[in-house]
Amino acid sequence: MSLDYQQVREQVHRLSQTAPARENRLKALRQRAWGLMQANTNELDSLRQKVRTVVRNHDPSLRCAVPAAEPLTAHFPPPPLPKHLVLLAADGSQIFLDRHALVEYFLINIGTIQMTYGESLPASITLLSDLHYGDDLHVSGAYPTEEKVSLLRDLRERQKLADLVEQMGEPAITLTDGRLELWGASPEEAGGEAGEGSLQTFLEALARLQAAGAIPAGYVDKPGEDYLIRLLEVASQPPEKAKDRPLLGVRDVDLFRRILAPGERSAVFEVQSRFAGIYRRRSESFAPHFFYLNVGREDHPWLARVDLLAWVAQDGRKLDELHAALVHQCSILGTRPYPYLLHRAHEIARVTPDEKGQLELMIANELRRHGIIVEESNKQFLKNLD
Amino acid sequence: MTRSIEIGRLLRGSTSGFVAGCRVPNFEADAPSLGALVRAPLGGEMQIYGLITDIHIDDDGLVRQLVTAEGVDEAAIADNRQNRTVPVEISVLAVGYRQDGQIAHMLPPRPPLSLDIITLCDDEELRRFTSAGRFGYFRHVLRGSDLPVSEILAAHIQQAHRAHTAAGNPGWAELASQELITLLRDDYPALIAVLGALGDAIGDFRF
Repeated sequence: MSLDYQQVREQVHRLSQTAPARENRLKALRQRAWGLMQANTNELDSLRQKVRTVVRNHDPSLRCAVPAAEPLTAHFPPPPLPKHLVLLAADGSQIFLDRHALVEYFLINIGTIQMTYGESLPASITLLSDLHYGDDLHVSGAYPTEEKVSLLRDLRERQKLADLVEQMGEPAITLTDGRLELWGASPEEAGGEAGEGSLQTFLEALARLQAAGAIPAGYVDKPGEDYLIRLLEVASQPPEKAKDRPLLGVRDVDLFRRILAPGERSAVFEVQSRFAGIYRRRSESFAPHFFYLNVGREDHPWLARVDLLAWVAQDGRKLDELHAALVHQCSILGTRPYPYLLHRAHEIARVTPDEKGQLELMIANELRRHGIIVEESNKQFLKNLD
Repeated sequence: MTRSIEIGRLLRGSTSGFVAGCRVPNFEADAPSLGALVRAPLGGEMQIYGLITDIHIDDDGLVRQLVTAEGVDEAAIADNRQNRTVPVEISVLAVGYRQDGQIAHMLPPRPPLSLDIITLCDDEELRRFTSAGRFGYFRHVLRGSDLPVSEILAAHIQQAHRAHTAAGNPGWAELASQELITLLRDDYPALIAVLGALGDAIGDFRF
């Protein structure tokens, strides 16, 4: 039995009936947000002060953009690509533990690819496949849930990048997919003592990257955040109403799409959040920042968000190199701009369903050779009949 | 001198032929050609001989996307050729085998079973195979309904002619052509096509 298209069709129809009204409402909100952005573009000190007031007195969990040193509506053309520049991208994939499978194990696969502008050598790749079984299963003493395995994967990516940059002995731009922060909106996601250990490991990897002169960046394709919108809401309301969301539904890209020509980046913003505070306590140079980047064309703008840390955001040369490299990397893939090296890192790290099946058989056969009984659950057996 | 072309994986095989793959860098270094005689081991001293009937390179999603850019990045080209496992596929038609030192122009008893190195036959082997019997292996090519028969035969005979001439036997190509005329005497269109291709391949050669 599959999807009941009749039921779904009716819901899709209802959805389409409300969509135009919603879109009209959002258009009005976007226009209002645009007006606020223009009115506040140079009010950097005032905006910072308002954010501090809200965080201190009304909403400590406020997550929003904070202007750094550039006007809100500032935009910058792509700098020239340096003659020599090293780019490293890393991505990870995983096989999650499945207690229904023949064998309980999990795997983390980290792929990296390095390309050097100014040299004619082809890109070099590495692949790290890390299998966990038996006593290795538990992540920091806890059952390896999907969240914990994903966290371990992300940590390994950063550690691998730090290893490679240190081995190279020269600065490099390091790219990862998604936000640069290890977790999402709340420190609670760190999960207590185990999470604290992971955070320390992550911060140590960042410290190693910084010591090696690296330029780490997280690339967020099709970003849906509203950090700037949240700032504008804070700016336009009394502090005690800071939790109100009059511009809810408007996204940052709705505004930056108006400003950024192809190849341009926006102003750099700092991130205000509880997690950002944790990073800043380790070192001010770890404070999370971001900018938006138009990697599209005149007739088809495409905005991405680039996460970076303070030590890069405050260094004009590093910022320019990152900007130039990303514009070039995205241009390689033509009509679907996305950093070429990040896509390749994903390709290198990807574990196909076929490979997963073969790995499971390999482990099962090896265990059986040693007289260990392995058996899938009845539930899985019946699923496999399909 | 024997040259080896490495294959990444034997993709599929049967007693009438097999398809193997090699990486692009290896392909560039030791490029095989249409009609070339190759061999693959079959256990013990046994070798299968085959003629290359097709060489192709598949595209994939990433390659198709790369070509949409204004000018394909050189580093991306190098990365694709060096690092991505998109194989060059080489289709080989089985045309004989060697067992206990004897060459037979018959289909082998079984296909290659394991991933092995395909070897491009050197001139000495080419002469030995093409001199054994009386061109019995031509029938395997002529039987191929989906193959560019004329082109394969022309390319093969051109290569063999070169090898035989180098060993002081320029008459081999004439004998081969006469055999083709005999085999195709009842198929005039095919005969004309083959002779036309041979003429293109061997220039001023007279049949």
